[in-house]
Amino acid sequence: MNLNVKINLIKKIHFLILYIIFVIFFSTVTAYANNDIYLSLCATTKRSDIAIGHFNVVDKNENTIKLAKLIKKIIKNDLVLSRYFNIIQIVSNDDSKEQLFSLRKNGTTIFITASVNDDGCDLVLEIKVIDVFTGEIIWKHSYKHKHSNYRYLAHKASDEIIRRIKGEIGIACSKIVFVNDSTRFKELYVVDYDGYNLRRLTKDNKINILPKWSPGGGQIIYTSYLYNNPDLFVLDLLENKRSIISKYQGLNVTGSFSPDGKKIILTLSKGRYPNLYMINMRGELLRRMTENVYIDTSPSFAPNGQEIVFISDRSGYPQLYIMNVSGGNVRRLTTNGYCDSPAWSPRGDKIAFTMKQARGNYDLCIYDLPSTKVTRLTYNQRNNENPTWSPDGRFLTFYSNRSGRGEIYIIAIDGSGTRKLVEIPGTSYTPSWSPILS
Amino acid sequence: MKKFLLFALINVFIFTMGCKRQNIKQGPYSYESTGAEKTATFDDEEPSTRVDSNKDINLKTVYFEFDKSDLTECSIETLKENAAYLISNSKIKIILEGHTDERGTTEYNLSLGQRRALRIKEYYTKLGISSNRIATISYGKEKPAELGSNELAWSKNRRVEIKKY
Repeated sequence: MNLNVKINLIKKIHFLILYIIFVIFFSTVTAYANNDIYLSLCATTKRSDIAIGHFNVVDKNENTIKLAKLIKKIIKNDLVLSRYFNIIQIVSNDDSKEQLFSLRKNGTTIFITASVNDDGCDLVLEIKVIDVFTGEIIWKHSYKHKHSNYRYLAHKASDEIIRRIKGEIGIACSKIVFVNDSTRFKELYVVDYDGYNLRRLTKDNKINILPKWSPGGGQIIYTSYLYNNPDLFVLDLLENKRSIISKYQGLNVTGSFSPDGKKIILTLSKGRYPNLYMINMRGELLRRMTENVYIDTSPSFAPNGQEIVFISDRSGYPQLYIMNVSGGNVRRLTTNGYCDSPAWSPRGDKIAFTMKQARGNYDLCIYDLPSTKVTRLTYNQRNNENPTWSPDGRFLTFYSNRSGRGEIYIIAIDGSGTRKLVEIPGTSYTPSWSPILS
Repeated sequence: MKKFLLFALINVFIFTMGCKRQNIKQGPYSYESTGAEKTATFDDEEPSTRVDSNKDINLKTVYFEFDKSDLTECSIETLKENAAYLISNSKIKIILEGHTDERGTTEYNLSLGQRRALRIKEYYTKLGISSNRIATISYGKEKPAELGSNELAWSKNRRVEIKKY
């Protein structure tokens, strides 16, 4: 072997090593670059102890005293439902050194007091958040609203407390819309996330189904058989006015808003087999997303607006698929069971859906996109369907017939803390969680 | 050595371009296809369903298996009888109303009901009934014929009702 050949060989080996290093390095980089940024998500971190003191009533008016009690109850409940805190009830609003010292001994870090006042026109709530260790006020703020809006006033304060202490958004100012059949027809109802303020939205004596809240919170889209065809309607909540968006012959169902609220992907049949289409808010067709004889339905947008998850039975039974909103690039996510009603999480890393195993019931599951792992949330509690995410991505609201009839429940995404949303006669279906409403 | 580095970088560039989305199928509608099924095409626009419809006693309801839209031998018999009536009463327009049982989600069942109605429309047109006489609508699981959570109720709810208008 002459020298030249040797040098060439060494060069080749060098090149090969370099090549391998680059390949390994860049393949890991591109593996991450292909995905969006994912944040870890956990519903139950270690809870901090928080003490709530007496809510002082300034004007001593009987009505104000009653409202102060209610407001305290609402805020306390909001903080409990947030699952961030353990609540310690304190009867006084004394923030003296002795009081704070005794709280400190028990491991409490935050002390909340408030005063409520009727200023002759509005109700004024002043919240003080005190650091137990230093005795200093971390934050205080006054809220002013009409007396009748005391629930909203309290929820506003709760969300701000959560933001100041935990640095996370609170969901106390959110609502849930759902369908109920207690009138023998199917009508839309809306309720605060804590189960209060139940209100009926439609009185059509017809079938109204599949409500979805708009990303801005001002509108609800739903399908109604009001004119003997399943048309897509929009309800403007501020103007209390409704109109038809899409009225193609046949199905105009399972509408899902794009994150900017300007487009809707829905299932249309138009006298043919149902397929997914993209329309604008005037109902004009922008794009046909799928074209086949299989069932393609239940679309849900990714929060970045670039992809949708939907279900299709093209493999023989309904499974979850993802596709680009520009059309194409269809990928299958799940491989077994009957999968349906997917909902993409607000942070983009998870998809909640319902899955039925052979001879089993429908159970809530969460598909984790980075790890491709499926976590089951419900066990042996009959059917659990149609999950939708809370605005902070820590809870799901869903339909279940575990009590013997269909009702709406809320569950933390680690499977803990299930609660029934509201007591209402009849069967309730298909909830949709609003964004945070102002 | 510089040459090699440059060469390696070019390689890396090509590689990263190549491996972007490497595990993902490309192209529009690149799903796995299970057969040579084609989307139904009818020559005429479907008539509107936005009218008052009545159940016609001469036209029988057709029933289906769970999660299926295939026609059974029994339903083909029913459809032939119905078709004979429709051919001899050529002025009658019909609405095919697809329904499902309560199992599965609202969304899935709406599409399943639509598919059932379309299968029957396809069959009628094969038997010579013009497609512009036939409208289709799906109620999914929203309008059960029979209440109850048992096989008897379910089997009565997996149906296409034929109404005239």
